[in-house]
Amino acid sequence: MDQRAILDHQFLVAAYAVTWAVQLGYVAWLALKWRAQKRNAARNPNNPR
Amino acid sequence: MKKLAIGLYAAVTIALMVWGFYQAIYVAPTDAMQGEIFRIIFYHVPSASVAFLFFAVSLIGSIAYLAFRRNRDGWAQIADAWALAGAEVGVVFCTVVLLTGPIWGRRAWGIWWTWDARLTTTLVLWLIYVSYLLLRRFAAGPQMQTYAAVLGIFGALDVPIVYMSNRWWRTQHPAPVFGGSEGSGMDPSMVHPFLWNMLAWFCWGVLILGIRYYVERQHQRFAAIEAQAALNA
Repeated sequence: MDQRAILDHQFLVAAYAVTWAVQLGYVAWLALKWRAQKRNAARNPNNPR
Repeated sequence: MKKLAIGLYAAVTIALMVWGFYQAIYVAPTDAMQGEIFRIIFYHVPSASVAFLFFAVSLIGSIAYLAFRRNRDGWAQIADAWALAGAEVGVVFCTVVLLTGPIWGRRAWGIWWTWDARLTTTLVLWLIYVSYLLLRRFAAGPQMQTYAAVLGIFGALDVPIVYMSNRWWRTQHPAPVFGGSEGSGMDPSMVHPFLWNMLAWFCWGVLILGIRYYVERQHQRFAAIEAQAALNA
């Protein structure tokens, strides 16, 4: 593998990794928000459930 | 039954993502001019398409909210939840576009960023929708949803400008691959991997859009219960 191909490969990996970091980071944040919301609803005496 | 359908959809989406990745890395041939780096297109372009689509969802939700807010509160709240979900998930995809683009640009052009029309209008689009989310997060009071809806409509006006920017002006950004001038397009051996990735990212986007919508509706219900309890107290 020449130098150019190695650099191309590294940049490609970086782009794919960044994409998945953003997407999975958002899904994780959403899951935490959902869990906190469920917990608050369960604690609230006004919630009829 | 509903849970089973959602689980099945999520499983199909994950399978599509894996298949799309396989197509992008192992099936699509290496580009003769750009080498391996061209494979970023399989994540960059679908992310942009899905972002545009979800900003359109936000636009429709915002218009519907403004139309129903005075006489049909239930519908208005549903519309507002779609507007928020569309904007937020759209920002996630737009963030991916703004991160993967410069990574490609650094190898292809030798620079991370240039203030050409396509890049600048995309950054402006992202900033408008980030300000929309900040407004929703930090503003309070009964008018907040109305202000947000107006900003959501204003932000969506930038989407056609972003789309047309490299048709209207000479840009450093590559000319449109699809729907561009004569001679544009993609080699047939790359079209199938591209379409698989479009489908996979679309399904993934719809999945998280649906989850975000559900979470917002739960939040609205909870807020309504709290408000009713405060009135009764």
